[in-house]
Amino acid sequence: MARKRMTEPQVPKRSRVKPEASPLTSDLASRIARAQGERKATDDHASPAATQNLSAISRGVRLGSEFIAAILVGWGIGYGLDLVLGTRPWLMLVMLMVGFAAGVLNVVRSAAQMNRAEPPPATARGPDDEDAD
Amino acid sequence: MADPNKVDPIHQFQITNIVQFGDGGLALTNSALFMVLTVAVIAVYLLLSTQKRSIVPNRVQLISEMLYEFVAKMVSDSAGTAGMKFFPFVFSLFMFVLVANMFGMIPLFFTVTSHIIITFALAMLVFGVVIVYGFMKNGPKFLKLFVPSGVPGYVLPIVVPIEVVSFLSRPISLSVRLFANILAGHITLKVFAGFIVTLGGLGFLGWLGALLPLVMTVAITALEFLVAALQAYVFAVLTSMYINDAIHPSH
Repeated sequence: MARKRMTEPQVPKRSRVKPEASPLTSDLASRIARAQGERKATDDHASPAATQNLSAISRGVRLGSEFIAAILVGWGIGYGLDLVLGTRPWLMLVMLMVGFAAGVLNVVRSAAQMNRAEPPPATARGPDDEDAD
Repeated sequence: MADPNKVDPIHQFQITNIVQFGDGGLALTNSALFMVLTVAVIAVYLLLSTQKRSIVPNRVQLISEMLYEFVAKMVSDSAGTAGMKFFPFVFSLFMFVLVANMFGMIPLFFTVTSHIIITFALAMLVFGVVIVYGFMKNGPKFLKLFVPSGVPGYVLPIVVPIEVVSFLSRPISLSVRLFANILAGHITLKVFAGFIVTLGGLGFLGWLGALLPLVMTVAITALEFLVAALQAYVFAVLTSMYINDAIHPSH
């Protein structure tokens, strides 16, 4: 390596410095621009890519726990109101249904979020998928 | 455990007093001890590793920087730049859950996050921050969170209670998820490890049979490390998403 540099004439090497430096700096400039663009993109809103890389287990547990939690909360609110108002068991039944609806809403929301972050593979889609969403 | 042949997978979650202060029942429990240890390990590691502040980081400093950038990217991705003022909060939560989960993977160590009261307290902290900051920043407009845009007025009496229950269910799902994952994982690990001992007592054929749960235990241990890291990540991601709701309440 050293021998090669010694035998090489100086003049072409100097002339080569300039075109070599400009792609380097332009690369840096484009990287800065890209980083600034990314930063601006996340300035004001949430990006859907936040829940990527979740494994199948954690997706399942997440959906399940959100469904059950909403039902429990609905039941708890209804039960508490029943105790206070003395209307047992009607509010509990109503709030149980509301909790069930909230659980479905939770599941649909997080599933939509996961799909936005990581679109499902094309083979997993059914034939009548265009009317979904 | 009185009987060494009896497998007791729940025993590991028992809370015992280590130091008793007076007669009031105030005591340093093993859970409290491991919480203190978790915080101490995090603080000492981060302080020592970033002390030199070298521009070209060594390995120890690099890990701290990677953790910082990982959480910073997560927060700005899900809550935007306005959410970055909550970065210290999310980072503390993430590090606490991560280190507490990893502590739980060391034999004979107590797993702090396997008790729902701990995870529920963390989730309520997140919930409280979201509500207080949401009302501080948006005032009554924060209640728009419960009124989805584009819904006709006559459906609102049905939709609003559903949205409220959905909102209230967040701390529960957040805490139950972490607690259930860690608890179930540790119990499974103990049960499979117990099979090895039980089968091993049956002679030669038992030893052959014990190979199966042994393989299973090794595999589950690896899985548990994954779960420990993943649940810390999920907890932090969902925290930053909820904070996003506090900053931008309209869906």
